[in-house]
Amino acid sequence: MKESKRQQILRCYAWAAPSLLLILMIVIFPILYTGYISLTNMNVYHWTNYTFIGLKNYADALLVFDNGFLKALGMTVVWTIVSMVLQLVVAFVLASLLNIKGLKLKNLYKTLLIFPWAMPGYVSILLWKTGMFNSQFGLLNQWMAKIGHGPVRWLNGDMSAFWCCTLVNLWLALPFMITIIDGALQSIDRSFYESAVLDGANWLERTFYITVPMIKPIIGPSVVITVFTTFKQFDVVYLLTQQVGAKTGADIHTIMTYAYENAFITNNYGYSSAVSIIIFVMLILFSVVINMKPKEVRD
Amino acid sequence: MKKRVISLLMAVSVMTGLTLSGCGNTSSAASDPSTIVIWHDKEDAVAEVLQEQLNTLNPDVQVVLEKKSDLTESLKMVGNDPNSAPDMYIFAHDKIGVYAEMGILSPITDIIPQEELDVYMDETIDAATYKGEIYQLPIYYETLLFMYNRLYMKDDEVPTTTEELYQYMQENTAGGHYGFVEQHSTPYYAAGWINGFGGQILDSDGNANLDSTEVIDALNYHKKFVELMPGETEYATVNTLFSSGMAHATIAGPWMIPTVKENGMDVGVAAMPTIDETGTPIAPYMGVQGVQVLRNAAEKKHDSVEKVLRVLMDPEVEVKLAAASGCAPANESCYDLDEIKNDEVVMMMKQTADHAVPMSNRPEMDVMWTVLGNLLTDVNMSDKDVTESVKSAQAQAESLIESMR
Repeated sequence: MKESKRQQILRCYAWAAPSLLLILMIVIFPILYTGYISLTNMNVYHWTNYTFIGLKNYADALLVFDNGFLKALGMTVVWTIVSMVLQLVVAFVLASLLNIKGLKLKNLYKTLLIFPWAMPGYVSILLWKTGMFNSQFGLLNQWMAKIGHGPVRWLNGDMSAFWCCTLVNLWLALPFMITIIDGALQSIDRSFYESAVLDGANWLERTFYITVPMIKPIIGPSVVITVFTTFKQFDVVYLLTQQVGAKTGADIHTIMTYAYENAFITNNYGYSSAVSIIIFVMLILFSVVINMKPKEVRD
Repeated sequence: MKKRVISLLMAVSVMTGLTLSGCGNTSSAASDPSTIVIWHDKEDAVAEVLQEQLNTLNPDVQVVLEKKSDLTESLKMVGNDPNSAPDMYIFAHDKIGVYAEMGILSPITDIIPQEELDVYMDETIDAATYKGEIYQLPIYYETLLFMYNRLYMKDDEVPTTTEELYQYMQENTAGGHYGFVEQHSTPYYAAGWINGFGGQILDSDGNANLDSTEVIDALNYHKKFVELMPGETEYATVNTLFSSGMAHATIAGPWMIPTVKENGMDVGVAAMPTIDETGTPIAPYMGVQGVQVLRNAAEKKHDSVEKVLRVLMDPEVEVKLAAASGCAPANESCYDLDEIKNDEVVMMMKQTADHAVPMSNRPEMDVMWTVLGNLLTDVNMSDKDVTESVKSAQAQAESLIESMR
């Protein structure tokens, strides 16, 4: 007996139900619950006896989005663009080098380049902070001392701290990007290059007319994912420059570190949830813009 | 067919996982009135002494000490859930206000009559009191200490005033060596200077009090000392400088002494230098470590909780803790015992405690750590104007405290 279309659809959903339920529990429910809490006055003083207060928290949360927030938003956009450009360029160059024909010890290089992935991010960031940038014991200042220069406080100034954060973020993000681009490069049929060489194309032309267009659809989703993780980055900037008890003097904030200092430390969960939901909506809008295809592609 | 079986098995395993995860937090200890779970964040030496003493309650009461690195946040999450929350926890007194307001704590006086708490130092009971109720049974307290490396700073060179300290720093700070280091822009450490000037970070009603003349004077005066210290303010740099012999003296917690002694340092402890401007010594914060009882446990396991508290009230526990980890007893009677009288570090903490200031236990203190940290960084590390920075910090503190409520 043949199943009707409707039965088929129902059966598919029935098989997928456990996974959908899991997604509902660990992804959708926390978002909905945060939305619910944002409409209440849940805080230290109303921990169990909280009440519905409508959109008051949203009105208060908009006060967080002051000049300081706009500055942090600008910094976040610049940080995301700079980090993404550097990640793509450096990962592409390294992945291309890994794909040189006849390269010896290729697997060793790959293992070394993947290494930052094997370490917990928290440990990596603090190692960079004390091992590299510290003015007393850091490697960079030991090199500076060797050339007769006094200690430099790398994480003290806004600009130098920004570049230090970018460098550490690059170190943390490269393994992912190299792996993706390396895989994409290996999927390109060698015959395209052979034909191009016969037609007299140089390395640059081969790269721009064959390599980049061929790998673009493969690395696209990874770039979108990385843009998001970079945009909502908290750990690198906070641990390097803003950690309570270990601040460095740099006044750089991403929207996440700014929201943390101006909302989340208050133990006002209704208010913090409203700030989170607003940032969540911003990220969704950002996602829509990023995924928007150009008009000619849509047509 | 094979694929269907595999799919079915996977679906069943996901569902089982989901169902079991719902039961994951159910603890048999939670319902057993003779089992008491205590969360703590203490070093092994302290935990071992406590566990050994509490084991004397076996088999009537089994006490399980569980170390939690994120104790404060975990308590906020599960404090109201009897299945997941501990029965008691051992932590500093400064979070009492937060948990009391959340309604998860039981006053200690619901279990131990208040007159029995008279044996404790007044400062420790004050620290344990929030809105008129005593929520903590004090065990020991900590204050920062002035420490020096006898290899470089002789006993007769120890500065007794801050100007003597400044002179010593000028004479001994050069080429990567420092006369004195401290976590100059970390609120817990810098508070000693502000308190010494009579300043107050948070008043007793939970209002920010940063824009006072005393705070401004303290920050202005402290700045010249900071200029002779390293740029970093964090724990690792400062303590490494001292323990590796690159700094002659420091202000640090007693927990540092075992480490530097293991490194072979002949370390001395001295009274805090007196601030020349005010005539009072640097007055660091005092943190009282003690045990708090959760409301659910006080109601459902009253007898077991009382037995545990009575073991912890035994002065012998505090004497053992002093020997194991340099903890200064909260019980006044311990200071009549020779073991304590002969402990240089503990007695110095007692002396410092005479003018130390208990950390505020109000919930508002949670935001003050961040605001004061930003203020200190602005003044000491970014060289911003003190008065302007103080005004801006006060405004931020008021706004955050308003948001809290």
